[in-house]
Amino acid sequence: MKADVVVIGGGPNGLAAAALLAKGGLKPVVLERREVVGGAAVTEEFHPGFRASTVAHTAGPLRPSLVAALDLQRHGLEWTLPEPRVFAPHPDGRGLSLFGDPARSASELARFSAPDAARYPAFHASLGRLSAVLGRLLELTPPDVERPDLRDLFPLAGFGWALRRLGREDGQDLLRWGPMAVADYAQEWFETPLLAAVIAARGIQGMMAGPWSAGTTANLLLQAAAGEGNGAGSTVLVKGGLGALTSALASAARGFGAVVRTRASVERLLQRDGAVTGVVLAGGEEIEARAVAAAVDPQQALLRLLDPVALDPDDVQRVRNFRTAGMASKLNLALSGLPRFRAASDEASLRGRIHIGADIDTLERAFDDAKYGGISKRPYLDITIPTLSDPSLAPAGQHVMSVYVQYTPFKLKAGTWPERAGEVAYAVLALLEEYAPGVRSLVVGQQVLTPWHLETTYGTSGGHPSHGEPSLDQLFLARPFLGFGRYRTPVRGLYLCSAGTHPGGGVTGGPGMNAAREILHDLS
Amino acid sequence: MIAPAVSYRMAARMAARYDAIVIGGGHNGLVSAAYLARAGKKVLVLERRHVLGGAAVTEEVFPGFRVSVCSYVVSLLRPEIIRELDLPRHGLEILPLDGTFTPMPNGDHLWRMSDHARTRREIYRHSPVDAEAYDEYARAMVEMARFVKPILSMVPPDPFSYDVKGLGRLAGLGQRFRKLTRGQQHSLLQLMTMSAADLLDQWFETDVLKATMSASGIIGTFLGVRSPGTAYVLLHHYMGEIDGAFRSWGFSRGGTGAISLAIAGAAREAGVEIRTEASVARIKTRGGRVAGVVLPDGDEIDAGLVLSSVDPRITFQKLCEPGALPASFLEGVSRYKFRGSSGKVNLALDGLPNFTCLPGQGAHLRGAMSISPSVEYMERAYDDAKYGDFSRRPYVDIVIPSLTDPSVAPPGKHVLSCFVQYAPYKLREGTWDEKREAFGDTVIDTLAEYAPNLKQIILHRQVLTPLDMEREWSLSEGNIFQGELSLEQLFFLRPVPGWARYRTPLAGLYMCGSATHPGGGIMGAPGRLAALEVLKDVGHGGAR
Repeated sequence: MKADVVVIGGGPNGLAAAALLAKGGLKPVVLERREVVGGAAVTEEFHPGFRASTVAHTAGPLRPSLVAALDLQRHGLEWTLPEPRVFAPHPDGRGLSLFGDPARSASELARFSAPDAARYPAFHASLGRLSAVLGRLLELTPPDVERPDLRDLFPLAGFGWALRRLGREDGQDLLRWGPMAVADYAQEWFETPLLAAVIAARGIQGMMAGPWSAGTTANLLLQAAAGEGNGAGSTVLVKGGLGALTSALASAARGFGAVVRTRASVERLLQRDGAVTGVVLAGGEEIEARAVAAAVDPQQALLRLLDPVALDPDDVQRVRNFRTAGMASKLNLALSGLPRFRAASDEASLRGRIHIGADIDTLERAFDDAKYGGISKRPYLDITIPTLSDPSLAPAGQHVMSVYVQYTPFKLKAGTWPERAGEVAYAVLALLEEYAPGVRSLVVGQQVLTPWHLETTYGTSGGHPSHGEPSLDQLFLARPFLGFGRYRTPVRGLYLCSAGTHPGGGVTGGPGMNAAREILHDLS
Repeated sequence: MIAPAVSYRMAARMAARYDAIVIGGGHNGLVSAAYLARAGKKVLVLERRHVLGGAAVTEEVFPGFRVSVCSYVVSLLRPEIIRELDLPRHGLEILPLDGTFTPMPNGDHLWRMSDHARTRREIYRHSPVDAEAYDEYARAMVEMARFVKPILSMVPPDPFSYDVKGLGRLAGLGQRFRKLTRGQQHSLLQLMTMSAADLLDQWFETDVLKATMSASGIIGTFLGVRSPGTAYVLLHHYMGEIDGAFRSWGFSRGGTGAISLAIAGAAREAGVEIRTEASVARIKTRGGRVAGVVLPDGDEIDAGLVLSSVDPRITFQKLCEPGALPASFLEGVSRYKFRGSSGKVNLALDGLPNFTCLPGQGAHLRGAMSISPSVEYMERAYDDAKYGDFSRRPYVDIVIPSLTDPSVAPPGKHVLSCFVQYAPYKLREGTWDEKREAFGDTVIDTLAEYAPNLKQIILHRQVLTPLDMEREWSLSEGNIFQGELSLEQLFFLRPVPGWARYRTPLAGLYMCGSATHPGGGIMGAPGRLAALEVLKDVGHGGAR
């Protein structure tokens, strides 16, 4: 079999890249190891009759220009922005809700603190302005430091100009906040501990870092930039779960003439005189191609699939040093009924994200456990109950609770994940009991996915949700590391297009979209 | 002879007798004064305490024992300052501080010396791989330091100004970055953003080696060795090597106070008038610009220029008249983070500590002794502080200056000084006045675990908490660097974004202390750069 481009991995980025390459006139083949496409954006039956977005449970959201370019609605993509966007129950029985509309959030906040209510609109606006500028950064191909290329420099200059147009005030804030601990950022704005925690949580999500770790504000800002820059954060639920999103991408790709194969596990890359010329599948089938785009994480691509002799030994060392240790688990619960949160008067407040983490110290202590290789005793939880907006995911009257759990470090100090996965479920349910008494008795089925499962089942090294820590030293042109940050690699014909490249994780399709642009440029 | 008070009044009567008044007689204030005077300005330095030096001070805390009370080693005193002020002629003498000794609970130890071959053998003993990596690491660090060093003598450009010169300097940095090899760019990027522990993990496997090296990354910050942004400070230890002027770390004969006195000597020679026990109550403004200072007794001293070497909180929130500064600037000042995280324990000893893991009075006592047995130990010390307690088992950096400089203690007796982290300024329970001695005991107990004889040989002990540093040395929240050296408070962001160029919104008022670029440590660079900026604004020569 022959193709123009082989895309390894049928996750959102692989599919986005393939669809755009096909739209650009090339003939891509997507090879997905599992029996379903979607990678970490899948809807799976985890218990008879109960389906959930087993890994990621909210969309990044997808980059709007991608949705438009591929006309994804036509391929069945439907999403909702639930109100409230996020609901944070407090142990004392009060609940804090943030809505898409800042005015409504502010009036909600008035019950907690007048100053916070007064500051919220300014916070929302500041985040919006910064996101508008950073949003441009996410669409850029990081420049080549050694041999700057006008193709990159123009958009970069555009970004620089936008940055200056932000004005002194916002610009200085951006520079000051970027490297700051998100705890400081949140507390610069707000005094209510619960609100500070809700905001700080966005800085630590998907990071092996606590709210007091420097650089976590950058994570929050980039996340905001990928979304709408709303003060309430980004909560995008997809009808049918995230699997529906990736099947829409797959169908768009097919529509443009791409071939998408499942149960097609790539064993190694074909290498001929210093270039990658295709792939070899398990079972020996060879597929020749002008280029190979790896939507699997950089370590998979460069250490397992590529014969590393093709790389400079220093680069091999740098790939190894790319930090990919995961810290999050997923607990998917099949519930016989809707849990009653003491802080929630009605089910309406449970339609968005549910944040569990009363204050910043609670989040930091959860991190402390993990720092030393332990499972957080009282983890930070980000919960969705997708059945409230999409009942089709569970039998009538029953519910799915999708729980994102942090921290559960990939490297445990004692024992192995297969032995200890149960402890995660236990810790989560014990914690949830405090907020929603009786929830335990509603559980009819459960699935625990630890970093170990994410690595073995979903194939991400270290089980990292973003294929690599989104820390300051692993962002932009240093993602995965300097010299490999432009989707190209020193090995001719081999490209990277996974979340392990700029602009990183979250189900946005950003890396795939940027990479496709570069591949099209090189191949045509 | 007239009483000082009288001479103050005379000074007050003679309006504009001074071109410039420097608030604070610490090393930075004195450096500024010296440079201004050498440019023909008539300068007055006002020091609140009875001794000069600020935190770089030697005091006879116990009879016969002269102690470098706060800052205890010379790190990065800028060679250009030593040269331009001819400090050796004014008595500056740096004595080498040889090596770092880290005792370990398992009875082993790590002892790095300036003798490269022996250090290599020592590290080899712990890990052959690390012995190899150690040289490469040092090479890489020196290269990085060579890149970073010029920044220490650079006035931070303002990326949001249209000041072409400044932007040019910024672009120049970019150009120099581009000229580095990709390997160097990679390392530099990591140094500027990573945590000390993560960075060292990439180089070494020996836990105690990583722990001891990473310690330099946290000093004076409220960060742990695993907090991003701590790697950068590792560079500082290699800056000295390229200065060439002298070893990067050392004692000054007569204690760190002798450095301040040498600078004071140079300043006086240039015509600077220095007063001690002369605190300032207020900075006087007239017609929207600085007009001088007001003393506690109401006397006034006029001057068109005032340079404050005390930190921004004191300068702008306490000394400046309300309304003298724009609200936005004051908001920036109130956001500036201090968060003192360290304490000092100074001991007068009737002998020398005897380490179980390396008995006797060997050369290991002449260098720094570091209580940093493992990275986890360091990180747990930080965890305690995060929640408002001092570390149950702190990181301690110990020196015995009397071994290198016998002049500081009576014959046969010794001075032992401990830098202790973490001691958070804000305690969750109780006050530092209640907990001072408990803190001191914790430090002594920690040391005694490695040198059991210590408790028997203590003659006197002085415990300094962050609260004491704030009270006695006017260091807000007891931060030894006049404000945290965290990424968001460095270079053009220090101390307030847009005001990193030593000037302030109040015409005639300048900052010249460690709260300005390039920050703390006995470096003198802020004082020098501030003075040079002042001279750019007002020109050389006396007031006319």
